[in-house]
Amino acid sequence: MNMKTILKTFILAAFVVTFSSCEDVVQVKLDEGSKIYVIDAFVNDLAAPQTIRVLTSDSYFSNREAPPVPNASVVLRDMTDNKQYTFTYTSNGNYVYTPAATETMAVVNHQYQLEVGVDGVVYTSITTQKRAAKIDSIISLPADNGGFGPPAKDGIFSCYLIAKDKTDSNTDYYWVKTFRNDTLFNAPSDINLSIDGTNGPVSGVPVDSTDFTPPIVFLGFKPYKLFDRCKVEIHSISRDTYFFFVQAAAQINNGGLFATTPENVKTNIVTPNNAKTKAIGWFNMASVASQTKVVK
Amino acid sequence: METCVRKIVSIVLRPVKTTSIPISMKYQLLSLFAFIVFSGFAQDKPSKGTEKYTISGYVKDAKNGESLIGATVYKQGSNIGASANEYGFYALTLPKGEHIIAVGLIGYATFTFAIDLDKSVTKNFELKEEGKDLEEVEITSEAADKNVKSVEMSVAKLDIKQINKIPALLGEVDVIRAIQLLPGVTTVGEGASGFNVRGGNIDQNLILLDEAPVYNSSHLFGFFSVFNPDAVKDVKLIKGGIPSQYGGRVSSILDVRMKEGNSKKTTVSGGLGTIFSRISLEAPIIKDKASFIIAGRRSYIDALVKPFLKETNALKKADFYFYDLTAKFNWRINDKNTVFASGYLGRDVFGASVFSFNWGNTTTTARWNHIFNKKLFMNATAFYSNYDYALKFGTSSGQSFNWKSNIINYSLKNDFIYYLNSRNTLRFGAQALAYDFLPYNAVGNFENATVTFKSAKRYGVEYSTYIGNEQKITPKITAEYGVRFSMYTYVGKGKAYYFRDTVPNTARALDRSATYNAGQLIKAYINPEPRFSMNYSINKVSSLKFSYNRMAQYIQLISNTAASTPLDVYTIASNNLKPLLSDQGSVGYFRNFKDNMFETSVECYYKYLQNQLDYIDNADLFINPTVENQLLQGLGRAYGAEFYVKKNKGKLQGWISYTLSKTERLVRGISNGDWFKSRYDRTHSLNTSLNYDITKRWNISANFVLLSGVPATFPNAKVQVQGWSIPYNTDNVRNNFRITSYHRLDLGATYDINMEKVWARKKDRRVWYRKVLGLDTSNVMVPRKIFKNYKSSLVFSVYNAYNRRNAFSIYFRTKEGTTYQTEAVRFSIVGSVIPAVTYNFNF
Repeated sequence: MNMKTILKTFILAAFVVTFSSCEDVVQVKLDEGSKIYVIDAFVNDLAAPQTIRVLTSDSYFSNREAPPVPNASVVLRDMTDNKQYTFTYTSNGNYVYTPAATETMAVVNHQYQLEVGVDGVVYTSITTQKRAAKIDSIISLPADNGGFGPPAKDGIFSCYLIAKDKTDSNTDYYWVKTFRNDTLFNAPSDINLSIDGTNGPVSGVPVDSTDFTPPIVFLGFKPYKLFDRCKVEIHSISRDTYFFFVQAAAQINNGGLFATTPENVKTNIVTPNNAKTKAIGWFNMASVASQTKVVK
Repeated sequence: METCVRKIVSIVLRPVKTTSIPISMKYQLLSLFAFIVFSGFAQDKPSKGTEKYTISGYVKDAKNGESLIGATVYKQGSNIGASANEYGFYALTLPKGEHIIAVGLIGYATFTFAIDLDKSVTKNFELKEEGKDLEEVEITSEAADKNVKSVEMSVAKLDIKQINKIPALLGEVDVIRAIQLLPGVTTVGEGASGFNVRGGNIDQNLILLDEAPVYNSSHLFGFFSVFNPDAVKDVKLIKGGIPSQYGGRVSSILDVRMKEGNSKKTTVSGGLGTIFSRISLEAPIIKDKASFIIAGRRSYIDALVKPFLKETNALKKADFYFYDLTAKFNWRINDKNTVFASGYLGRDVFGASVFSFNWGNTTTTARWNHIFNKKLFMNATAFYSNYDYALKFGTSSGQSFNWKSNIINYSLKNDFIYYLNSRNTLRFGAQALAYDFLPYNAVGNFENATVTFKSAKRYGVEYSTYIGNEQKITPKITAEYGVRFSMYTYVGKGKAYYFRDTVPNTARALDRSATYNAGQLIKAYINPEPRFSMNYSINKVSSLKFSYNRMAQYIQLISNTAASTPLDVYTIASNNLKPLLSDQGSVGYFRNFKDNMFETSVECYYKYLQNQLDYIDNADLFINPTVENQLLQGLGRAYGAEFYVKKNKGKLQGWISYTLSKTERLVRGISNGDWFKSRYDRTHSLNTSLNYDITKRWNISANFVLLSGVPATFPNAKVQVQGWSIPYNTDNVRNNFRITSYHRLDLGATYDINMEKVWARKKDRRVWYRKVLGLDTSNVMVPRKIFKNYKSSLVFSVYNAYNRRNAFSIYFRTKEGTTYQTEAVRFSIVGSVIPAVTYNFNF
């Protein structure tokens, strides 16, 4: 929840009371856009199978999983170490590489190039893996509604993250992913981003060496019950990735009185000039800090 | 042509390095201007030795001493006349001899008298209001056909009596909501602050309250305006042909004049409404010489709603209210000098303990009217205007975040009106306006640190000077022409940022910054703004009018949201942001029917805008010291035709207006660099506002509004990244769709209660006192007197009578709990019928 979200929520609440404002799901006839490829490449240093998705765009109201592109070639190149990793197609547009137990595919400060070939056209993207954050601990406390929504019930807990940003002048961008019993909270409103441990929108001038202090990184308004497992992963992201997330979050649920002008999300995938079909999407290499706490 | 004029100006003001235009052209232009000016004056020299004298003075309302703006004073049976200015002052020059003079204004009985003019004289008039009984009596007043006769075009005037008859939201009459029913005026929807005039953005309207600019004219996100109807006398909206005395905004001037306060007797008026209550007091200080008015309003929706809210509702502990206070004092020292002081103070507050925000305007104006001689009128004004807004967060653990921003104006200006002769009225003057602008000041208190984000203040000064003349060139042709020169300087103390060029629609990288001392010039802009309008009378009841104006604006609102938010900040022109310029031409045909019972007009306009603000994708506009690199400047064009029919007399009164228009923008880097429809483009706009007097006491009224839906950007695809379905438009176009059309019917009824009758019989009053108040009335003095003049009315209103859920926006989202199922959602601000009752009184 950033300031603008809270502002929107509040004003909306005032309108609901005063003028009975309302939202109705309606039928709208939309144009059919031309097909474009969508590359969803978020790779990290966790010892687990890494997945890159190659998909196509779909009609907005299609109500199905995004159509896969099964015949692509997906190669991740470590340009610093001059190594390459070939991802193989499994299903649903997923291209997977499982690092060997001794192998470290994603290394801090290495530069990586992603190459996705479809029908003879190679789409590329370059990024550098940023350093990881350090998690101190996760604490759980009886839930507090923060002044919004219904008051917390007994036996419901909120989890807070205590972490410390690296004390130097480099700016770090993080994506904080929160899980309950291994299920990721992944609604658009759950996108939790941080610049140097502060809540993002006070941006431009990030504050260094500030703790990830509650409730600045408050792990969502999702409640935990006793003995639930609360897992947090802090993924390092590039500055551009940070702004991609900010933009995507704004576009996914862009309603209300103060909706911003809809715009297309940016991409860091490069479509060669001779390509007939454009590819968009995002590529990020992340260092991950992770910790799990059983709520009690 | 414009570039030529600009070059001439730059030659005058400073040596130019650039190649200059051919000298012959310059002389042609100058001599043309000189010809117009001097030929005009020449016509008015006393001919054949006839001596001329001037009658001048003030026109006031006999009932309360309020000056009557726009009252006409004319020689009967001729077209020689003058109209009273914003202060009720007129000056009419006539040849020596006997004349019959008539003084009139719509809604007032025309006053006629004979005068044998052998010297210049001062004559003050007091006009009596036409009573309802007088309605059938034929009164021919020149003022009734002013729309046809005057050189003004694209002007809408509403007096407060008219506004009072329009059915209002929650029973509260409102100046700005009334204006939105006029041709050429639209908004993006309910809940949107401000209004759009002929394709202009909301920040392009100069809203003046007694000459001081009001930056945010809205209470409660545009549902109500900051103008208290009890304190407003006159409202004038100028959409085109803007005279040279106005400047600073490019699309329109909304000139709101406050009442001076009753100079005859003390009166109290007020109202008890559903959402707020009003009270005002007017009284003479020295009868007919000095008086004041003080008027206040406070909303209490929060207090009314809270008992019905559950304990758990976020609004239970919240504040949401607004208030305002308007006051004015005037003192007519003698026939030559009058002073005025007026002020406005208002604030909206929304919030709870964890989060709150508020905003408000403060304006103060001091004025001095001085009459040098019978022909030269001066008004000197000093004003201060402050618009500020603040946002607060706090948690129980002591962490907090406070953000605020403000914009302050100081100004001195001097306006002169020189009633040269019966054919020429010259207006000239000068103004200096200082902008003192704090983009943001934010303080965050975290557990172990206090973080301050404070922007340096920014300063600008706008100097302007103007001259204009209204000239009756021939009995059929009247012209008003003039020019305003504005010069804007962006000055220190402060830091100026310089950016490198880049691909359009991406943030420009910072090249360098430079620090400037207090008052040091960073950047200057000079703009000559020619103004012209002309009236050609075809016959007694119809005329053709033309106008052209250029306007310059040195301040713009940064807002990339659907409706302007209270967090949107203004920004001033700088080394990075060029001033906004507009050129507008319009042509209109005006005709009255049935002895001015019906006014009709057709106007066409074309407006071209330069340097209008737009935003890069994913713009970071909040607390950003280099916000200027998030901004784009582009072109705009708007054109349309406005049709208007108004019925002025009889039991049924009101108007119907229809506007056909198009508003577009062109910004490099947006929508593939093609023209796209602007957010407030409404192709069709039909407004009907009617009221009908059923009996002396009952009046009913209705509004019907039918508007094309506003354009919106709709996706034509979705893309899936990290399990999110993101809407996407593969054609990359903006505003490619139009949301459903907007229509609404409002109904109103007013019942005037005859208190005099109710309280006439002493016995009844005694009974009432005993029964209702439980008083022993045998020895009580029953205060009859206050009820003698007590007038009251009940206003019933129904807003959105047939319960249409008009879309404010249609947006797209992922169904809750799914990753790839998406839906379109219609968001309506008003989702039901809103009935209300208001009780108004005055005594």
